Amino acid sequence: MLANRAVIKRAGAIALAVSIIGAGASFSLADDIVITDHENREVRLPAPAERIVTIPMPMASGVIALDGSDSKLVGLNPLSLTAIREGILGKIFPEANNISDAVTSTDFMPNVEALAAVNPDLVVQWGGRGPEIVDPITNAGLNTLLIKYGTEDLTRQYMTMVATAIGKPERITELVEWRDKVEKDIAAKTAAIPEDERPNVLYLGRSLSDITASGSKSNYNAWYIDLTGGKNAAAELEGSVSINREQIAQWDPEVILLNSFEPNLDVSWVYNDPILSLTKAAQSKRVYKMPLGGYRWDPPNQESPLTWMWLADLLHPEVFDYDLRAEMKKAYKVLYNYELSDADIDGIIWTAQQGDAAGYDQFKAN
Amino acid sequence: MAATADGVADDVRHRGSRAGALAPFAVFTALLALSVLVSLCVGRFSVPVPRAIEILFSFITNPGRAIEAMDERIVLLVRTPRVVLAAFSGAALATAGVALQGVFRNPLVSPEVLGISQGAAFGGALAITLGIWGIPLLAVVFVSGLSALIFVGLLARIDGRTEIITVILSGMVVGSLFSAFVSLLQFIADPNSSLPAIVYWLMGSFATATWERVLISAPGLLIGMGLLWTLRFRLNVLSLDDAEARSLGARPELERWMIFGLVALVVGSQVAVSGIVGWIGLVIPHASRLMVGHDHRRLLPASAVLGAAFMVTIDTLARTVTAAEIPLGVLTAIVGAPVFALLLRRHYRDRSAR
Repeated sequence: MLANRAVIKRAGAIALAVSIIGAGASFSLADDIVITDHENREVRLPAPAERIVTIPMPMASGVIALDGSDSKLVGLNPLSLTAIREGILGKIFPEANNISDAVTSTDFMPNVEALAAVNPDLVVQWGGRGPEIVDPITNAGLNTLLIKYGTEDLTRQYMTMVATAIGKPERITELVEWRDKVEKDIAAKTAAIPEDERPNVLYLGRSLSDITASGSKSNYNAWYIDLTGGKNAAAELEGSVSINREQIAQWDPEVILLNSFEPNLDVSWVYNDPILSLTKAAQSKRVYKMPLGGYRWDPPNQESPLTWMWLADLLHPEVFDYDLRAEMKKAYKVLYNYELSDADIDGIIWTAQQGDAAGYDQFKAN
Repeated sequence: MAATADGVADDVRHRGSRAGALAPFAVFTALLALSVLVSLCVGRFSVPVPRAIEILFSFITNPGRAIEAMDERIVLLVRTPRVVLAAFSGAALATAGVALQGVFRNPLVSPEVLGISQGAAFGGALAITLGIWGIPLLAVVFVSGLSALIFVGLLARIDGRTEIITVILSGMVVGSLFSAFVSLLQFIADPNSSLPAIVYWLMGSFATATWERVLISAPGLLIGMGLLWTLRFRLNVLSLDDAEARSLGARPELERWMIFGLVALVVGSQVAVSGIVGWIGLVIPHASRLMVGHDHRRLLPASAVLGAAFMVTIDTLARTVTAAEIPLGVLTAIVGAPVFALLLRRHYRDRSAR
């Protein structure tokens, strides 16, 4: 009973604090913040969100980047946390290593009690995946923003929604402009590349237990392979499915991209395999593991233009000459207000593991 | 029970015509040879059939040669171990099914019923969670499958006696328990590394077959099958009821547990390298029984050969029909369930006609 009362008191104090902050904000903004989310729901916030929980994986680092700090993120997906810990974000924002990952299981099912405990004023959740994972949050009376995954357009939209929610719309304008500029720049240059000079690129979503690849339909990896002047070697597939080595031998891709999700995976997996080591990609040393920076570079996130530039440099060194190191330093300064060292960059792009891969010379530190 | 005894009597009567008795074996062996040959010659990577046969032939005549070209590696390092593993697993699972059905005098039992498969699955999931692979994984799988069996034995033994029905019920209890443990492991597994490995492995697949895996599982599979073959007379006796079996000098309980142990060895060896593959232990013994009768001296080898042929065929379909691997369990069930239903109806219609 006593403990109960203490909790109520604390909740009251927090509510008071929040309302004071809210009152402060409302003087400057006057009106509620209204956002229409990806399920056409109207999300209404009386003041910019100060305590955000993100259940979709790439969104956690997205909130940090949009805010330029980790102070607004109070809960995240356990898989977002492993990315922060394995990658550089945990070094840039040491406090982020301690954000609660109890708010959701990795399959996006929220833990409502843990959610309530961090007292969020906005919860970001996946949309389009049914009410099972949404209703528990809305039933608890929490503001919920639903976002959909998959394309560059959706990514820009949901990043804009979140930026609006935290009261920093000017910030997203800058980031979307960057994405737009890099995308157009790359597209303009690849447009002139004839079909037969576009390498077959195979992105493997998983490798160690079973091997998976994806067709091109609503697949972000296939989208940026196409953007940067490659062809998806697995285009004939429907969705993301298990494949075998014999199928890879048949496709005989000229470039193989490995996922950045499996911590024990590096390019030696390809070179030590009796079948994969005979593919064109392995023979010409064009096997690369996707970098892991502020988030994993495979799915869409705040650093995506860096992914495109990295891949464009690797697929068509004769066309592209992005100075990846300079671009990364510039981007990390803007995104995280962090001065990236050369050692940081080597860690992100796996120089130790794949520094001798074809085309990696251009990424060498001066 | 009566049917089984009748069956044995039928077989004894029929043994006069030697050629007739051998005919099913000739058919099964031909099927196996055909399925193996076809399987080695087809796949997603196009190797012309004459070239595939040439590769196989040159490997048989000169096995020490280095394997350099892609088509040679595909045939010798991808397809051959996969076919060998599928054949051994199919044979072993069918043999295990025959043995269990004989012991229980019940045509519907399979390794899943005794909780062995679930126990083995738990062992495998545990090993994967702990990052254990290869022979240690096999050991964990076998120990865990066997301990499931021992739990069943302890549970089923009441007042120093073990009834068949209590064994089956205990098997269900222990099986459910181990299934829950597997779910628990999946719940806590790392979603980026061990969870997909566990899920994939539980689904059952020969896609990751290598010669190393063949070497890991072959001893258990072959020893298990071999020892079950040496127990073929015992199996005939055990498929009578206990009183009759005792009067024939058998010690039903001891012998039953010997057979259970061998089944655990076989299932553990198979599960360790290719996950859980259902239906084989149920469908194949039935099909064989229709062809060669109930005498285990003929039923065991017939099931082994037919099981191997069936497994190789199914696995060939799984890896060739589409660019994506089709899960093995899906195919064995799609093919197995209707065949089983058909057999069941024919069997009981024949019996009522008699």
